[in-house]
Amino acid sequence: MPIRLLLRNLFGHRLRAILTVGSVAVAVFLLCILIAVSRGLDSAVAQASTTRLWVQSAVSLFVDLPNSYESKIERTQGVDEVIRFQWFGGVFQDTSNFFAQFAVDPAKWRASYPEIEIVEGSLEEWEKSRTGCIIGEDLAKRFGWEIGDRVPLIGTIFPRLDGSNWEFDVAGIYRSNSLSIDQMTMFFDFQYLRESQEQNAVGGPGGVGVFLTRIAPDANPDDVISAIETEYENGPQAVRVTTEAEFQRQFITMLGSVPTLLASIGGGVLFAIFFAVLNTMLMAARERTRDIGILKALGFGNAKISSMLMIESLLMCAAGGAAGVFLAKSAERPLWSVISSQVPGFEISTTVLGLGISLALGLGLLAGIAPAIRARNLRPVAALRLGA
Amino acid sequence: MSAPITLRTVTKSYTRGGETLRVLDELDLDMDGGTFYALMGPSGSGKTTLLNLVGGLDQCDTGLIRVGDEDINDLTGTELAQWRAENVGFVFQGFNLLPVLSARENVELPLLLAPLSKAQRRQQAERALELVGLKDRMNHKPRELSGGQEQRVAIARAIATDPKVILADEPTGDLDRTTADAVLDMLRQLNRELDKTILMVTHDPQAATYAAKTIHLDKGKLGRIDDNSAAATSAGAEA
Repeated sequence: MPIRLLLRNLFGHRLRAILTVGSVAVAVFLLCILIAVSRGLDSAVAQASTTRLWVQSAVSLFVDLPNSYESKIERTQGVDEVIRFQWFGGVFQDTSNFFAQFAVDPAKWRASYPEIEIVEGSLEEWEKSRTGCIIGEDLAKRFGWEIGDRVPLIGTIFPRLDGSNWEFDVAGIYRSNSLSIDQMTMFFDFQYLRESQEQNAVGGPGGVGVFLTRIAPDANPDDVISAIETEYENGPQAVRVTTEAEFQRQFITMLGSVPTLLASIGGGVLFAIFFAVLNTMLMAARERTRDIGILKALGFGNAKISSMLMIESLLMCAAGGAAGVFLAKSAERPLWSVISSQVPGFEISTTVLGLGISLALGLGLLAGIAPAIRARNLRPVAALRLGA
Repeated sequence: MSAPITLRTVTKSYTRGGETLRVLDELDLDMDGGTFYALMGPSGSGKTTLLNLVGGLDQCDTGLIRVGDEDINDLTGTELAQWRAENVGFVFQGFNLLPVLSARENVELPLLLAPLSKAQRRQQAERALELVGLKDRMNHKPRELSGGQEQRVAIARAIATDPKVILADEPTGDLDRTTADAVLDMLRQLNRELDKTILMVTHDPQAATYAAKTIHLDKGKLGRIDDNSAAATSAGAEA
C-alpha cells in the first residue's frame, strides 16, 4: 500500500480536505450532543426513585388538587409521607433567567430525597425563616448566589397584589447524586406561599399542584397507586398517580416527542453529511482516474487501489470525527449549565464519544464504497485514456 | 532475462456508438527476446492496442499472446496485474508520473509490489535514477522537471523492477528533437546493455531508426518488418 501516496492525495486539495473534515466534525459534534440529550433524558427516567409517587389531577398537571387530599392520602396503606409540591413559576429579573422553583414542605422533602446532599447551610437554617430557600449548586454558580443572599422573584402564577417582588433568602445549597434530580432548582417553604395567600397579599390558585407521596420500602407501588386512584375515582377531583419515572417521562412527552425529534435531526444531519463526503470522495476518485490507470499499469491490483480510496475516506471521516468529539467534550460544561435543569442526565460520556467516532467511521466506510467500486471496475486502458 | 513475444491470430474489436470496429485482425507476429522494436503505422492501424495487449493492460478477444513463457491471455485480472508488476515496464507519451510524489518516490512505486525492504527499495530507485542521469534530481517533484527529465524519470520507473519487456507508447511525442534523441538513445542503451526486449510505438521515422527492427501495421494486420541495423548504426554515429 503506497501510504505516502495516500497521505499526499488526502491533502492534495487542502482546502477541500479541510472543509470536508470540518463538515464531518460539525456533524459529529451535533450528533454527540443529540445522543447525550437523548441518553440524558433516558437516564433521568431510569434513575428515578421507585419509592416516590406523584399524585396529580386526572385532568391535567395544571389543575390543582384540594388541600384536604393530603391527610386522606397519608392514611392510605403503604404511604409513609405526603409532601405538597407546588410549581411557583417566578421570574428572576427577566424571563431569560429561567429556573424552576417549587414550594414544598422542607422537612418532609428533605427526608424523601436521600439522593440530595446539603453542601452549604442546613435544613434547620431553612426551616428557621419563612422566606428561606434552598438552591442547587449549579443555580448558585450560575447567578453567583451564596448563603444569606436575598433573591427577588416576580410572581407570575402567584403575583403579589401590591406589585412588589417575592423575596427569598438563600439558606442552603444542595448537590444531587442522581441524574433524575437537577441542580438548577429552588425549593422554598410551602407555608410561605400559603400564609401569603391567607393574608390576601398574593393571588393565584389556592390548592396544591402535586402531592409527592413517599411509600414504605416494602409497599407495592401498584397497590398504592390503585388505592389512591380508587379513593378519588368519583371526585370531588379524580387523580392520576404515577411513579417518579412515569412522571419524568410525562415531562419529556410535554416537550414533544423529543426522542423522535432528536433521532430525526440526527438522521438528517448524518444523511446530509454522507452526501457531502461521498461527493468529495467521488470528485477525488474522478480526478485521480489517470493515477488509478498508472497504478494499474504498474501492477497494483484492484484490491490495493480500492483500499486506498476506502482508507482515504475513512481517514478523512476519522479526522472529522476526532475533531467533532473533541468539540463535543469541550462544550460539555457550558452546555450542561444551560440544559441541566431540563436534562439533568446530560453527559458527553465515553459511550457518547465512542458512538460519535463510530458514526464518523461508518460514514467514511459508506462514502468510500462508491469510489472504490468505480476504481475497481476501471480497466487500466480506459483509466489512462480518460485521465489523459 | 530477455523475453520473446509471440502473437497468434490475435483479434481485438471495440464497439463505439453501436458500431464494432476490428482494430487487430487475426494478427500473427513473432518478436525476438532482447530486441528493440519500433511499431509504426497510420492512425487507427492498431499500434497502441497491440502495445496494450502485449503489456497486459487489455485482453484480446481471440488468439494467443505469449510473453517469455507466459500465455498472458489465460491470466485473470489479478494474475495479470501481478504479471505486469514483475515483467513489464511502461513508458508513456505523457510521462504519467504521479504529481504528488518526488522523482524517487515515483520510481519506488512499482518496487512497493516487490518483496523488498524500505532501504532496498530506496537503493534500487536511486540506482535506476542514476542510470538515467537524474540522481541529483531525485527529490524534485515532476512539475519541477523539464519534459525530457520527466521522461527519463518514467524510464527509470520502467526499469526499476528489472522487467523483461519495456513497452513505450510514443515516448518522444511530447519532446523536442534533441531531448527525444537523448531519450531514444537511452532506450537503445537499455536494450543493448541490459538485454531488454523493447517495443516502441512511434509515428516518427527518425525515432524508429533507433530500433533494431520496425514493425509496420496496417488496418490491424501485419504489413512488413524492416531491419534497421544500417540506419541505427548511422543514427548512432550521428548521435
